[in-house]
Amino acid sequence: MSGQPAVFDGEPGHALKRFWESGPSGWNRTLTRPVVLVPFFVGAAIVPLILQYLEDNSSWIGAQYWTLILATCAMYACLAVALNLVVGYAGLLNLGFIAFFGIGSYAYALVASDQIHLHFPLWAALLVVIVVTLAFALLVGVPALRLRGDYLAIVTLAFGLIMTNLILDLDRPPVLAGHQFGPDGLNITNGTNGLHNVAPFSLPTSLPLLGDIPHYRMYYWVFLGFLALSIFCMLRWRNTRTGRAWVAIREDELAARAMGVNIFKYRLLAFCTSAVMAGIVGMIDAALVFNAYPENFAVQQTVQVFVMAILGGLGSLPGAIIGSIAFTIPPYVLQQFVFYKYLIISVVLIAVMVFRPEGLLGTVSLRPRKALGGTIELLTAESAEEVAEMPAVSGADAAEIEAVTGEIVTPEQKA
Amino acid sequence: MSDRRLVLEIRGLTRRFGGLTAVDRFDVDVKEGEIVSLVGPNGAGKTTVFNLISGVLKPTSGSVRMLRTELVGQPAHRITRLGVARTFQNIRVFAQLTVRENILLGTHHWTHSGMLGSATFWPATVRAERAAQAEVDTAIELFRERLQPRLDDPAFALSYANRRRTEIARALAARPKLLLLDEPAAGMNPYERIEIAGLIRAMRDRGLTIFLIEHHMPLVMEISDRVVVMDHGVKIAEGLPKEVHSNPRVVEAYLGRRAASA
Repeated sequence: MSGQPAVFDGEPGHALKRFWESGPSGWNRTLTRPVVLVPFFVGAAIVPLILQYLEDNSSWIGAQYWTLILATCAMYACLAVALNLVVGYAGLLNLGFIAFFGIGSYAYALVASDQIHLHFPLWAALLVVIVVTLAFALLVGVPALRLRGDYLAIVTLAFGLIMTNLILDLDRPPVLAGHQFGPDGLNITNGTNGLHNVAPFSLPTSLPLLGDIPHYRMYYWVFLGFLALSIFCMLRWRNTRTGRAWVAIREDELAARAMGVNIFKYRLLAFCTSAVMAGIVGMIDAALVFNAYPENFAVQQTVQVFVMAILGGLGSLPGAIIGSIAFTIPPYVLQQFVFYKYLIISVVLIAVMVFRPEGLLGTVSLRPRKALGGTIELLTAESAEEVAEMPAVSGADAAEIEAVTGEIVTPEQKA
Repeated sequence: MSDRRLVLEIRGLTRRFGGLTAVDRFDVDVKEGEIVSLVGPNGAGKTTVFNLISGVLKPTSGSVRMLRTELVGQPAHRITRLGVARTFQNIRVFAQLTVRENILLGTHHWTHSGMLGSATFWPATVRAERAAQAEVDTAIELFRERLQPRLDDPAFALSYANRRRTEIARALAARPKLLLLDEPAAGMNPYERIEIAGLIRAMRDRGLTIFLIEHHMPLVMEISDRVVVMDHGVKIAEGLPKEVHSNPRVVEAYLGRRAASA
């Protein structure tokens, strides 16, 4: 496998061939260069303008509708990127990820609606969202991150389910051991109905040159901006001390500890950062749809974001974008197959898992690790081969050394 | 020799796994600039000693002092900060990271750069990152011709010997005072073994103190200032390589075992 960076020089045919041959790590390197990312984001930003132009100059109607779909797509891309931080970089199987999205949306909805009669300005609401999601992330993370693999997955999954119930039940004062907390009329979350009439951000509705900006288009841009910011930060982190420590922990916890990495601190950092990113996405979503729903916490949502991140390739940011496009746009294009949506998704996912377990652009796969009795751990694509190869190398070498030197060599103990 | 200060001072180190005493009241002193080898048959408890020093395992009792600082009870990452770096018997490089990134991990504990700093190109962070990158160049100095061309290759693509070199370079980038090498020559061919011997000496000449586990006796005899022999968790001999080599208990521990299992 070639680790050479795919540099585009020489004939274009060769450049494409070299790009193809550079393998997943090379694809990622090429696709995360500014020269690719900047045109991508600029292009993505002008798509709604093109849609608008088409609507104005033809009989086709649907610019609004497709802009909303694009906004949904950008939202899922943001979530998949945030999930990539915790699962792809740090190797923590956080199955309660979407709960932080829900917490963010409810935190914003509570301080920007009539529910508890608070109407914070945008910056204050953002601060509240960050603080609240961080508090929940610490609450789960501090005890749970001392666990590993399956156990962390179980705890975070349980957290997600508990949050759903909490949101549904907080339309009345909580009762614990016969004692009621708060007055009789206390209604924080409005139960199954969710929070309505959430104020959107106070953003300009028209800009010079661009003219009027419809609500959906504005929020598409907000999501896109947040996506660009997330990707910029993720790439910076990946290439500096923090990100290296995350990947090192994922790759080999023991060796990372031996290099002076405080495992717990870096795990918590990844967990909380990812949670806060998801919370901010939830906040933008609440402002986009003027609502915060209990469905924001649904396990299906977690599964959906996981599917996007895994299909694109865990640890790969272009992969996260590709995955989110692949799982939001086609369902709308193929409306008539909507009943088969989950069937098609399952078939595609099984096919990917069979033929490319590490995803389209990924280098890390979610596969049972045989050496650990089949527990599901993040497994790097190559370490399986390594496990198989290592004892063989030492055995053969012992024999070789004996033959060459005439020394008695005690064969290495096999783990 | 005697006026050198003690780098590592182990007293009464004991570790039990259930009914098995893997390390039993083990004592050793390693002085500054020494190369001390720890040898013994398989299962003698050598690697356990290393794991106890580096904080991977907690001892049942006993003390490990590094330049008069007690290491027992400290978390592994803090022990690294106190100047202990190690390599592993079954090489543990970070497979998905490039060789450069692997070595940069060594600089983790003495550089300071956070998430905010790196996202904003904060000057202090940029400086720290540059210092870390410069350290890569220093760390591979001893095997430049081997690792320089592979610096940007992922570690899983490396040959066995180059993985060892990467692991050692990573440990060197941590700027340790004491280097623990767990079977650095395991799986190496005779030529590479000669290279490793030269490398260990070169590292010592740069002021490092080296405590190593090695199975290959000629290599041990050649490079060690002192040899410590363990069997069944107990230290059975200690001294100059020559003395240990002819010690009847050592011969028995090795040959007796082999005769019994043959």
